[in-house]
Amino acid sequence: MNGEALRSVDLRKTYESRGAPRVEALRGVSMEVHRGERVALLGRNGAGKTTFLKIASTLLRPSSGSVEVFGVDVTRAPEKARPYIAVVPQEGKPFFHLTPREQVYTYLRARGFARETAKSRTQDALARMGLDGFADRLSITLSGGQRQRTMVATVIATEAPLLFLDEPTIGMDPFARREVWSSLRDLTQKGSTILLTTHYLDEAEVLSHRLYIVESGVVLSSGTAEELKRSVGGTLKVFIAEGAAQVERFRSFGTCVTDGLSLTVIVNPARLAEVMEVVERSEMTATVGPVTLEEAFLRAVGRSINED
Amino acid sequence: MRTSDALAPARPFAGTFAFLWTEVLVQKNESLAMVTSMVVPGVLLVFVEILDPSLIGVALVGAILFSTFTMGQRVLNEAAYLRIDHKANDLYLAGPLTPEAYFLGMSFGILLVYLTPTVFLAVLATFVVPLSLAVGLELLALATLVWFSAASIGYIFSTFFRDNRAIWAYSSLFFNVFGVLAPVFYPIGLFPAALRPVVLLMPPSAAAALLQSAIGAATLSSGEVALASVGLVVETVALVVLAIWWARRTVRAD
Repeated sequence: MNGEALRSVDLRKTYESRGAPRVEALRGVSMEVHRGERVALLGRNGAGKTTFLKIASTLLRPSSGSVEVFGVDVTRAPEKARPYIAVVPQEGKPFFHLTPREQVYTYLRARGFARETAKSRTQDALARMGLDGFADRLSITLSGGQRQRTMVATVIATEAPLLFLDEPTIGMDPFARREVWSSLRDLTQKGSTILLTTHYLDEAEVLSHRLYIVESGVVLSSGTAEELKRSVGGTLKVFIAEGAAQVERFRSFGTCVTDGLSLTVIVNPARLAEVMEVVERSEMTATVGPVTLEEAFLRAVGRSINED
Repeated sequence: MRTSDALAPARPFAGTFAFLWTEVLVQKNESLAMVTSMVVPGVLLVFVEILDPSLIGVALVGAILFSTFTMGQRVLNEAAYLRIDHKANDLYLAGPLTPEAYFLGMSFGILLVYLTPTVFLAVLATFVVPLSLAVGLELLALATLVWFSAASIGYIFSTFFRDNRAIWAYSSLFFNVFGVLAPVFYPIGLFPAALRPVVLLMPPSAAAALLQSAIGAATLSSGEVALASVGLVVETVALVVLAIWWARRTVRAD
């Protein structure tokens, strides 16, 4: 294995089909994922995250640009890149008439693992995902969250050098999500690299070494969660529920982001008292809290991550 | 941390057996589906027995070929269902399992599970049709060719659909038209002479015509024998090669 775990240069993808409008899903995405890193692509629905993952995982041809996985160009030599990768597809489901144990085991066998290795890894992956009690039940009888855990177990059991996870914890309860996060951390400690897409800000923040904020096929911002939060321009946020109309009165204090009727003012602690004075004079109410990734996202994109 | 064999570049057809076994496990839980695969040939055999018992031998060997042909419909349905509903292509093909192994593993898995009704029909045929060893071997060879061509057609067609509801209608239409309307269950002699070359170029009816000739239920000219046999072999090889090429081609969408 040579080079970075993943490197994309000016990656573009335009969907063109008869009777449908032309869609520019990716408009020059360049990024690097270093070995052993956990990197998140953060973006709203339709931002281009899944398109990027599909190209990087050899399942979609780009319109132009390149992606290399461990130095292998996935467009020119996909068959050489495939042994290095494993994918949790978005909205993927385990085979309904297999048990989670059969699902994981047969997948590992299909990837070329020896029987004993496949068996022990299956057991380990099921235990990690908290599926011990359901391992021998048909997947059709499992809940949506348990099926999703089976999908993640299937892929993490490969311990592939580069894992792509497209919304891996969707549909899971908070406890299960934490189990997934813990397993992914263990995997990177063992040497795997992870690129995931998510629109859960807490997941991106807790899990990732670095993040890329993507919108309309473009990377708008990247860095660690702390770097992104610092880039907002302050460490505190003042949320004013019906402050959008009064935005001009707050501009001098720091970054102002409107979202519908509400206004969020990003300030440094030194200026908080002045902001609160204006709030009081305007007979409005405000809540104060630390800046989160949500503000970083709002500032970069101009919209909330859940806004369609 | 990981075994070296799993990281080695995939050999052609690597993983075929593993995916075949996966498909057997997936299918074995639908034992009722195996029974339903007997419905169409079963009903036709009953009709033939009632309307003209002298044709039951022809209908029985036709039913054997029909049952191998309709395995293509199962490949079509299964491949499309797993791709659309389960995203199995994304899971399996973004990895070392080769596309040809995925296609052949799935097809052989379905064959293994649905072979029981075919074998049942073959056993039944031995009581009705004078099957010498040579005719038995010919039946086996022709059924194999029909199965390969049907599985290939099924897999190729599966890649064109985006909605399962459409697939179930069209796949049923396709396989029943070519397996029932064409002279598979009835002697080719009853089919309009002008259209014979057409049905002799279709895998199930070509195989049926050759079998009917072998058991003395139809008379084919040497030209027709050549057309049916060469056509069947050439078409099957071409379809399998095309399906493998197409499987590789469609791993990545445009």
